[in-house]
Amino acid sequence: MEFIQDLITTLNFILQGLWVTIGVTIVALTVGLLFGVVTAMLRVYGNAFFKRLAAVYSVIVRAVPVIVIIFILYFVIARFVNLSPFWAGSLALGFASGAYQTEIFRGAFQSVPPGQMVAARAIGMSRLQAIQSIIFPQAVRLALPGWGNEATLVLKDSTLVFVVGVPEILRRAQQVSARTLEPFVAYAAALLLYLALTLLTTQILQWLERRYRLQM
Amino acid sequence: MQQFLELLGNAFPYLVAGTLETLRIATGALLLGIAIGLPTGVGRVYGPPWLQRVLGAYVTLFQGTPLLIQLFFVYYGLPSLGITFPQFIAALLTLGLNSGAYQAEYLRGALQSVGVGQMTAARAIGMSETQAIRSIILPQALRLVLPAWSNEVIAMLKNTAVVFVIAIPDLMGQAKILASKYFAPLPIYMIVAVFYIVLVGITYLLLRQVERRTQIPGLTNEAE
Amino acid sequence: MKKLGLLFSALMIVLLTLSACTAVPQTAAPAAGGESAGGQTTGSEAAAPAAEGGKLAAIKAAGKIVVGTSADYAPYESIDENGNFVGFDMDLIRAVGEKLGVEVEIVDMPFDSLIAAVQQGKIDAVIAAMQATAERDQQVDFTIPYRMTKDAFVAAGNSSLVIEKPEDAAGKRIGAQTGTVQEGWIQKNLVETGLTPADQVFSYERADQAALDVASGRIDLLLMDAEPSIALADETGLKILLITELTAEGGKSIAIPDGAADLKAELDRIIQELIDDGTVLKIQEANGLP
Repeated sequence: MEFIQDLITTLNFILQGLWVTIGVTIVALTVGLLFGVVTAMLRVYGNAFFKRLAAVYSVIVRAVPVIVIIFILYFVIARFVNLSPFWAGSLALGFASGAYQTEIFRGAFQSVPPGQMVAARAIGMSRLQAIQSIIFPQAVRLALPGWGNEATLVLKDSTLVFVVGVPEILRRAQQVSARTLEPFVAYAAALLLYLALTLLTTQILQWLERRYRLQM
Repeated sequence: MQQFLELLGNAFPYLVAGTLETLRIATGALLLGIAIGLPTGVGRVYGPPWLQRVLGAYVTLFQGTPLLIQLFFVYYGLPSLGITFPQFIAALLTLGLNSGAYQAEYLRGALQSVGVGQMTAARAIGMSETQAIRSIILPQALRLVLPAWSNEVIAMLKNTAVVFVIAIPDLMGQAKILASKYFAPLPIYMIVAVFYIVLVGITYLLLRQVERRTQIPGLTNEAE
Repeated sequence: MKKLGLLFSALMIVLLTLSACTAVPQTAAPAAGGESAGGQTTGSEAAAPAAEGGKLAAIKAAGKIVVGTSADYAPYESIDENGNFVGFDMDLIRAVGEKLGVEVEIVDMPFDSLIAAVQQGKIDAVIAAMQATAERDQQVDFTIPYRMTKDAFVAAGNSSLVIEKPEDAAGKRIGAQTGTVQEGWIQKNLVETGLTPADQVFSYERADQAALDVASGRIDLLLMDAEPSIALADETGLKILLITELTAEGGKSIAIPDGAADLKAELDRIIQELIDDGTVLKIQEANGLP
């Protein structure tokens, strides 16, 4: 019986980290989206300099483990602005995710048949207008499966920000296991919580995909 | 600049030692991942329904939870049940199981993209399912899965970066110690980033060579 | 080949950025955009320019002091079941805050990032059973000690090891928390002297995780502060083989930004007051410290 009680207190304590985890994931995904879409556009439509810049960002950041990126950006950000670990960590994670998202969106932009850009220019649209009204909406929908995958990855990687002190699920599990000295319960609870989160997210993403997916 | 070089000089031997540890763990875990992923992938496609479900649960568990928490669970959680692994083994096991789950899925996709007609044809000329898998389907699937597998190698190198949480002196582990010893976190972590870039770069080039050598002319992966 | 060129140029950019903007901390860290609230530059200790002249005033103006700690170290600092920070250090810093007339905001972070956090101004001070070592003193400033340090060698409950002096730990698998004086002692006195091979030394993020590893037999010894080790030993069935001051480098102090002379003077005064009027003793008793 005491085990069940321990389990409940432990679960309760760890659950408080749930909202932090969700918060980190959402912020990171949004930041990543920004970086990803912008650099993808630069890569596909930009001039030689921007193309290079976007490529360097993508290649370098993807060659380094996310946790290293988080450490580096955490200290770099700290130099310029005083952000809480939550924001610094989420921003760092977002920056890393952006490098992966840029590949997804680049592929999506390139999958839109090039004839469409030609046709748009032919009827007098500027490049920007064409991208805005014709290419981009399709690209976004083409990117959905890949982006959904990335979203799940970011959800799981959100746990990495525990190293900078963010009180998300893992940190809470560490703290409670330090007190109750029941690490098995604490970490099992954390695992199950994440499992539930990823399954839920996958369902939502699949639903989104079914509704909005574009088959080319 | 001079201080930076001094720091680099002091840190370098430790970081190299860490890199060797990283490579040791990555290699071992990848091999374990193949050993687990191969049969799991085959079992997921050709096994009896109950096996498919069990393997499916394994894949869902390891793909659906963060590697970091898996590590904590295996290393700090299992001893409560009496199962205590030393650091290196725990890392190897966890990363291996994790990688195995992803490799199983890649293989499953590859197996399924080898045309169904091939299995039918093989059965038609009298081969058993096992023979067909071994001689016809699998060799093709393995070629098809190479690009995804190359990605997995690179992913593994990066995944090892979290094993420092179970007191393993890999590249990141050494970095943390050095960062506090010299009170210079940013320079140390940037140097470490360069280390990883070099590691990944070299690995990528090697893998590309392997891919080129093992390519079958005319056999392409539709997904790529 | 194009990818190779890309990687190479990227590597160059990274290396250039590295050497250009990563400043290796020097003995006197210049303040980046210091507080304008004070304005006076009080002459302070020899090496540090008093760039943080207005730190105390800034804290008072903000009405709160942000203090960093690593809450994995009962009875100095830990987190209770409601998520509150409890422990000797926590009670002490709240008493200090009261005397200063400001609120106390406590932030939990890994021990080895505390010093960096003070240097970057993310926190105003650190209270984490931290010893004022000579190396740390080059990065930050310390108040007078509020408690002397004793270390303990901890082993599994059924261990047959005998440790009569610190060097007896030679050759055994030993662990410590990353960034602590204890870790440094092990490196200097056991690894660098060749008494213990480097692969027998393990660095842990948290003290309680190291204790778990002693209990499960993955390491033979743990070197950490004596009081937290007593608490951990009770709970996890470990035993303390030796308590010594030989491995310590000094007393426990509050860390503050380098050069913040006015803050140091004020905190020193308050700490002395709290020692003299018995508050420290009371807090000690309340937290079960000898």
